[in-house]
Amino acid sequence: MSENDTLSVDIWRGGEDGSFQTFHVPQRDHQTILDVVTYVQKKLDPALAYRFACRVGMCGSCAMTVNGEPRWTCRTHVSRVARDGKLTIAPLRNMPVIRDLVTDMTPFFEKWRRATGSFVPSATRHDPMASVDPASAERTAADEGIECINCGICYAACDVVAWNLDYLGPAALNRAWTLVNDERDADRTGHLRAVAGDAGCHACHTHQSCSTYCPKALNPTAAIAGLKRRTVEAALKGGL
Amino acid sequence: MQVERHETDLLILGSGGAGLFAGLHAHAANPDLDITVAVKGLLGKCGCTRMVQGGYNVALAPEDSVERHFMDTIEGGKWLNNQELAWTLVTVAVERIQELENELGCFFDRNPDGTIHQKAFAGQSFDRTVHKGDLTGIEIISRLMEQVWARRINRLEEHRAVELVRGRGEDRISGALLVDMRTGEFRFVRAKAVLLATGGGPTMYRYHTPSGDKTCDGMAMALRLGLRLRDMEMVQFHPTGLLAGVDTRMTGTVLEEGLRGAGGYLLGGDGERFMGRYDPRNERATRDIVSRAIYAEMRQGNVTPNGGVYIQMSHLGPDEVRRQFKGMVERCADCGFDLASGLVEVVPTAHYMMGGVEFGPDTSTGVPGLFAAGEDTGGVHGANRLGGNGVANSTVFGGIAGDVIPGWIARAGSAPEPDPDVIDAAVDRCLAPFGKPATDFHAIRDRLADLMWDKVGIMRTAEGIREAMRELEGMARELETTGLPATTRAFNLTWHDRMNLESLVMVSRSIAAAALAREDSRGAHFREDFPETSDLSTSTYTAVRLQNAALEVTNEPVAFTHVRPGQSLIDNTGRPLAKAGE
Repeated sequence: MSENDTLSVDIWRGGEDGSFQTFHVPQRDHQTILDVVTYVQKKLDPALAYRFACRVGMCGSCAMTVNGEPRWTCRTHVSRVARDGKLTIAPLRNMPVIRDLVTDMTPFFEKWRRATGSFVPSATRHDPMASVDPASAERTAADEGIECINCGICYAACDVVAWNLDYLGPAALNRAWTLVNDERDADRTGHLRAVAGDAGCHACHTHQSCSTYCPKALNPTAAIAGLKRRTVEAALKGGL
Repeated sequence: MQVERHETDLLILGSGGAGLFAGLHAHAANPDLDITVAVKGLLGKCGCTRMVQGGYNVALAPEDSVERHFMDTIEGGKWLNNQELAWTLVTVAVERIQELENELGCFFDRNPDGTIHQKAFAGQSFDRTVHKGDLTGIEIISRLMEQVWARRINRLEEHRAVELVRGRGEDRISGALLVDMRTGEFRFVRAKAVLLATGGGPTMYRYHTPSGDKTCDGMAMALRLGLRLRDMEMVQFHPTGLLAGVDTRMTGTVLEEGLRGAGGYLLGGDGERFMGRYDPRNERATRDIVSRAIYAEMRQGNVTPNGGVYIQMSHLGPDEVRRQFKGMVERCADCGFDLASGLVEVVPTAHYMMGGVEFGPDTSTGVPGLFAAGEDTGGVHGANRLGGNGVANSTVFGGIAGDVIPGWIARAGSAPEPDPDVIDAAVDRCLAPFGKPATDFHAIRDRLADLMWDKVGIMRTAEGIREAMRELEGMARELETTGLPATTRAFNLTWHDRMNLESLVMVSRSIAAAALAREDSRGAHFREDFPETSDLSTSTYTAVRLQNAALEVTNEPVAFTHVRPGQSLIDNTGRPLAKAGE
């Protein structure tokens, strides 16, 4: 590309009732969406609000809606998404907008808690670590979902969340699934119970947007299917 | 200026391994305690614990011992460590890793027989690094974060601390002044005790690895409070940061150590390997040696288009590279680079600060009621940190802070009223830019990055450091006259960039002052005019303090409380001496 190539970038400004503003940003060989947003803040409009931290896809702070799709902006190269030199950058869907590109992720974190997405110990710091067969079916199932960085992309991509704001959403349910499969956890039935209700796993319509957009290539849809199966089994046995 | 008031028992500044462990332990010690975690970004998401790739050093195996971990830590630290702190690190790490696995639910990698896997890591005599693939930090911080969410622990997210405030007419801490970043309003949080756990992060260098929010705010606040910072000259450079030009935030981020360990080559701009000229271990030499070698090649002009060197992995077989370094290959590919079969430009990159606030094994500091843990502190690592000792440090001492503080609060009672003059002065300092003509202060940040890289970086001389000190003073004065556009203070990143720069200039000055004072070379500190390591048995460490707006440096003797240079706690087979005769 030549030094003179310019991107036309529409960026969301304001709160829920805001609107798009167009900026012109020079295109570079090595340039992510986060770099585009940074350029606007540093060179064109110092008041632009956005959020980022790690710069390399580890923290899950910088996700935004880019040309209509939820993405980590730090790991999205401009050349992969720009169409005819145009970009549209908006805040993530399904979360309240604080200002410009920043959303309030509190409801997303709160649902993680409501899904009891935290380990219940069966041993203490004074005990040796448990022996765990790394190839067992349960460990493998848990391992497949454990690397979630809670970036909120699946939650923003989910149509069920958009219709039903009580729905726990893919990330929280995916975490619950890893705990249900964790042989060290002392209350696996409790984790199942927390996701068995109306706003839990059974609300999923298997649209698979979560799995399509997960930047870590995790499969929350499969995790939720597992939870559906296990909650039904447990209910039939009278265990919930 | 309106300053909102907020009351809590324990105020924790920072939400990395140190801050979150402190919160959980303090809550367990006294569930009635009102605990508030204030953090510059989102809880558990900003900062550097999450970015840990390597793992967690801990002596668990029967053939290993805390004595052996201790000797590796002291020898790695070139005998500058505070030995009580290092001893606390290696001994408490055993309980802490079991807590991470058993109580928080961390998934650490297993051997096929179900036992915990411990991998080899540079600079250690035993394979003791517990890990979760190459994403250990994500596992640790995610599990900590959700445990904090599950408890009655208050969160002030996107609240940045701008000043530590003593009680009126008292030595004891009264709390901290914060800016609510979402509204731009000021909030004073009065607390019976405060934990400083904001992390370090040498982002004042042109190339740096830490999270973008890291700007040494904690150390800058500690200096303004009058606390001493030790070992500030000790800045660790990682040899292989991604180099993609000045226009991208990707530049400086780490390409992992394992690439060199697995047999990766470093090539100069001429396409030839050069490490053989510097060390018989070639690319597998230690971080400091490889960083200096790359820097020397760069100074000689043997460079790539962006001014660094190349890393080449393709000779190991692209499919094998893709299999073994999936995360790194994907990260490079997302940014437009082919690590598996092409060449990727790299450059040494500032990674970690061994120096920081002087503190005790119980995490107490020189100010009553103020405790410190994690990368804000100095003394644990000495002149160099072993890979895998960083997250051990933050979690060990964060947990200790949480154990100790509830008892301290019970004895000390209610918090003093804050010194109003300090709050007023801090508010004025934060708001000062809004009344002045707006100029491009980002240019000052760029100059700072170049200056620290060129003059107080991988190789240093007295002449260069003195020049840097003069220029840093000039930058501090220049900043006083540069303003900001009169826009909203709500989520105003540019305002925070400006405050970040003030912290960085202040802490850069302390790095330069300490670097000038240390007239020998050891660990991360290399003086071209004093290339030898001086006598270890008379080792001193530097301590920097802000006194009447000037930095004062003293050299303090290292106390060899566990072992003296020339001695060891282990025999030549690695067994602890006390047990050797059993």
